[in-house]
Amino acid sequence: MKILYSWLMDFVGAELEAEDAIRKLQKIGFKVEEAKKTGASFKGVVTGRILKIDRHPNADRLSLVEVDTGKNVFKVVCGAGNIAVGQKVPFAAEGAVLTTGMLKKAKIRGVESAGMICSGQELGVEEKSDGIMTLPEDTPLGIDALDLFPKQDWLMEFEILPNQAYCLSHMALAREICSFYGLPFKKPSPAFPDGACADFPINIEKPMSCPRYTGIALRNLRFAPTPQWMVDRLRFMGINPKNNILIDVSNYVLFELGQPTHCFDLDLLKGPAINVRSAGKGERIKTLDGEDLELSEKFLVIADTERPVALAGVIGGVETAVSESTKNILIESAYFNPLNIRKTSKETGIKTESSYRFERGTDPEITAAAGLRIVELIKQSVPQARIEAVIDNYPLKYRPAVIEVEPMKIKTILGADISDNDMLKSLRAVDLQEEPSEPWKLTVPSFRHDIENIWDVAEETGRFIGYDVIPAETGMKLMRVSPEPFFEISLKLKTELAGCGFSEVYNYDFVSNKDLKNCMLDEKTCIDVLNPVSSDYRYMRPSLMSGLLKALRYNLNRGQESVFIFEIGKIYLKENGSYSEEAFCAGVAHGVFPAEHFWRQGLNEEADFYHVKGIVMRIFETVGDLKFASGGNGFFAPEFCAEIADENSRIGRLGKIKDSIVSANDIKAKDVWYFEIPLKALIKDSHPGLSAGGGKVKPVSVFPRIWRDLSVVVGMEHKWLDVQKAVQGVHPVRNPPCPKGTAAAPPMAGLISNGAYLEKAELIDLYRGKNIPEGMKSLTIRLTFSSMERTLTDAEVDGYISNILDKLAGKFSARLRT
Amino acid sequence: MTPSEWRDKLFQIKDAFLKDIGGVSPENLDALEIRYLGRKGELSILLRELKDFPIEERKSLGQDGNSIKTEMESLLAGKKSSLSPIKTQAASGGKTGIDVTLPGYPFLKGSIHPISFTVNKLAEVFMRLGFTIADGPHIEDDYHNFEALNIPQCHPSRDAQDTFYLAMKDSQANNLLLRTHTSPVQIRTMMKHKPPLRIISPGRVFRRDALDASHSFVFHQIEGFYVDRNVGMADLKWTMEAFIKELFGSDTRLRFRPSYFPFVEPGAEVDMTCVFCRGRGNRSAAVPNEKCPVCKGSGWLEMLGAGVIHPNVLKACSMDPVQWSGFAFGAGIERFAMLLFEIRDMRIFYENDLRILKQL
Repeated sequence: MKILYSWLMDFVGAELEAEDAIRKLQKIGFKVEEAKKTGASFKGVVTGRILKIDRHPNADRLSLVEVDTGKNVFKVVCGAGNIAVGQKVPFAAEGAVLTTGMLKKAKIRGVESAGMICSGQELGVEEKSDGIMTLPEDTPLGIDALDLFPKQDWLMEFEILPNQAYCLSHMALAREICSFYGLPFKKPSPAFPDGACADFPINIEKPMSCPRYTGIALRNLRFAPTPQWMVDRLRFMGINPKNNILIDVSNYVLFELGQPTHCFDLDLLKGPAINVRSAGKGERIKTLDGEDLELSEKFLVIADTERPVALAGVIGGVETAVSESTKNILIESAYFNPLNIRKTSKETGIKTESSYRFERGTDPEITAAAGLRIVELIKQSVPQARIEAVIDNYPLKYRPAVIEVEPMKIKTILGADISDNDMLKSLRAVDLQEEPSEPWKLTVPSFRHDIENIWDVAEETGRFIGYDVIPAETGMKLMRVSPEPFFEISLKLKTELAGCGFSEVYNYDFVSNKDLKNCMLDEKTCIDVLNPVSSDYRYMRPSLMSGLLKALRYNLNRGQESVFIFEIGKIYLKENGSYSEEAFCAGVAHGVFPAEHFWRQGLNEEADFYHVKGIVMRIFETVGDLKFASGGNGFFAPEFCAEIADENSRIGRLGKIKDSIVSANDIKAKDVWYFEIPLKALIKDSHPGLSAGGGKVKPVSVFPRIWRDLSVVVGMEHKWLDVQKAVQGVHPVRNPPCPKGTAAAPPMAGLISNGAYLEKAELIDLYRGKNIPEGMKSLTIRLTFSSMERTLTDAEVDGYISNILDKLAGKFSARLRT
Repeated sequence: MTPSEWRDKLFQIKDAFLKDIGGVSPENLDALEIRYLGRKGELSILLRELKDFPIEERKSLGQDGNSIKTEMESLLAGKKSSLSPIKTQAASGGKTGIDVTLPGYPFLKGSIHPISFTVNKLAEVFMRLGFTIADGPHIEDDYHNFEALNIPQCHPSRDAQDTFYLAMKDSQANNLLLRTHTSPVQIRTMMKHKPPLRIISPGRVFRRDALDASHSFVFHQIEGFYVDRNVGMADLKWTMEAFIKELFGSDTRLRFRPSYFPFVEPGAEVDMTCVFCRGRGNRSAAVPNEKCPVCKGSGWLEMLGAGVIHPNVLKACSMDPVQWSGFAFGAGIERFAMLLFEIRDMRIFYENDLRILKQL
């Protein structure tokens, strides 16, 4: 909302600097978005006429100009290109004060200059000027140029919060300043006219929707232009004045008192009469802004005896509008139910300064005063205007709300120790009329619809004493903080993934049809947004893949060769009419580990399946025991994908994104690896958060470990996991019958049984090629044995190994590599 | 020597070699090679002893021996290549040592998104003050997002929050929408748990705003509230001061201005002194006329909305507003992140440019 300082001061009965007013308003909760000086503030500039122009003897671009100010003729040096003999110009003599400062006598290129012809910029009335300012032909000579421009003023722009409906005018804001700071408030009280007794029919169908309608019939008018001061003020409000007082005066009073009014051409009203009623089905109205609306019973209209003439509280009709030929008017000043106006405005899409105020609630007690203010202003331009009738139809009299207040409660709400006296002062300041009994009974003024209960009253007290008076102190007790599993797990994953070289990205939760198609996702499983910002953001994402691929593309296109990114976010799905949202962690890897380029060659490698698996294992192993099995689905190249499972079920997947999806997403690269896992799967009921998998420490042996590398050749079809399981399944106490006559280190019964165990079985080499038959692979397994009780002997370990070999031979037809 | 002793010896040699090569200086590289791998080197001698074993043993031990020899040779070669430029210098009499200014080998380094970083930071501060984190759904209904928060159907403040609606209804045929703020978590928590409650809820919110440097239709908020007996503005002020000062330094000052949010009464807007100009309003003390680019010259930055929880909100959660009272606050996380990282354009958060992200 725009507020003009000088207008505001019309209602303040004391000196108040503009900057001070702004500061004061800010402090009581009005947010100043902008405050700028306007108008002219120069001094010592008079109007003059250019008599003669000569060339400057020493400079091509300068001229010597003689300016006549009526009394004197001044010789000045001028650099402007737009001067001409006969022009009327603002002339500043020595000592004048301009935006550039005080003007002094000067010699310019050897010629004395007795003053200056001014540009609009130098006068401070234009942002930027090109050359000097020329004044109209008929400007008199020698007058103070200040009179030609609006006076110096401040234009302030306030952000008005939804609960500040009572402040939507200059008068109301002045009332706030005055009451809070104890300044005299000049309440407008237009005189009620004598002898205005004629009757005029104003019928209100439903008092609930229009509790009050004040109509004033004003006759004996003629066209009069809007006075300049009013034009200036309206322009500052951002209104384009129509230069007809009968039209502009309504806007003026709206900004002044906050009460919307409307003037009908009385001679065009049928009847003449006013009926405030619901529109009939099929009725139409042509509005002032040129729309032809079809109405329904939902709309509240102002009608004459035949047709709607205004959409109540929103906009007037064009058929009864005032014009230059208007002789008689009916001034409408009413109070409408905010909900009605809001509905009409929403339904028709018409938003006006009137509807804005009515739907937030105007002051029902001000209608007559506002109507009379209209009359007062019109009479200044058309003195012969005569009031014929003032009809105040007020079927639903305003009944002020009464709030019971216990001072103690206010102190609790604010947490400040305020004396009863100060509290009473604060409440009187906001016009809450207090009755001095306990509990206090406070009467809410008619313009404060926002005050309904003691909390609202507490806010008024807070505003009055100032929030800075409230101490920052607390008696909060200690409270236990319990972990939130999703937050904890996300934090852990983010930290770990970042530690593995992945960067976290954030994508929007919205995707387009094309995004879905490019990732082979079905839009039938996606939730549509009814009012998306654009078709690019039509669906809620059903997977994190599309966003990650977009981020991959973005970075590849900007010269990154390696992109390792992840996102933790929600996906949204619909199925059989129900919906779900679920948090996922997903990542994309492409490029070279650990870095694209560095000075020691040969240490970096292209990311492949096992890099990504390695990372997934490292990140997720602390939250559970994960298993990987071949499989996956349509997103992945079938030979490079795996399902991730925990003890119970499949929970995630990992693999190489199909080339067709990669290229559909405009990504030039190949080998794009992807993983995803729902966070839910990582949260164990019994151990919310991260306690699962961590914690327990096993003792280690004080005796040396013994290790052996075992190279076996098995068929390609055998998976490592199966081989490893088989190895680990060989029990140390197993004591195979000792074949008679076997010389080479037989397992010794009794020795191997106490405490020897296979600590680890790691794959340390995988080899195919020379010396290995087609279809076979060689696995080198490092077996580490230890015992908690003693030093193991070679013999018992060798026995153990031969058991293992037997098992592998039996299960996988494995043989020792030679 | 038994085969097993031979094998032990082999690994002893290897371990000793590994120990020596770790700290070897360039000028000693050759000596190291001679000592282990030279014709009379320890390993060479051991390998020669193999011939005394029977053929079966020889085969298996030999394989181990050779693989360790290859390993040692390649380690030595690698070391030589990385130290070789120095070696020349050393040979010419200089004692320069290795070039310590060469970059260390890169270890994997990723990054956490600035918003996540900020959320964690805020959460950390509040958790120390006894706030527990609560989470809530992104897909909400009108009741939790508006009605229960004292924003009835025709309330003008709905204008300020342009809402995304979904083409779906929930099982009770309520319209579904994307939450426009984190405040529904307040409702959900207060409905489920009894006071005292001290909760924060960071999360994603959605508003139909056009994208520009300071607006995004997807952004993040943190909500916080405390309900107990006799909680008021003073407790709120203490909490906000503790929080802001921990984040931006103890010389930061706070200012509370009366403001309006439907779910609090009294309501306040919380400003803090500008982090850039420290409240002076100008770019630097040296250029007093040039406005600070961060606070636009005011010296203050708007950081939070807050207030005493509106009685209607407590009532909606079946709490008696006479018995219980509380404060609540909410802030945009992007705003904090922009200040913490000196980011000027909000769109950066969703562009995912690794050149930016990797700086974190």
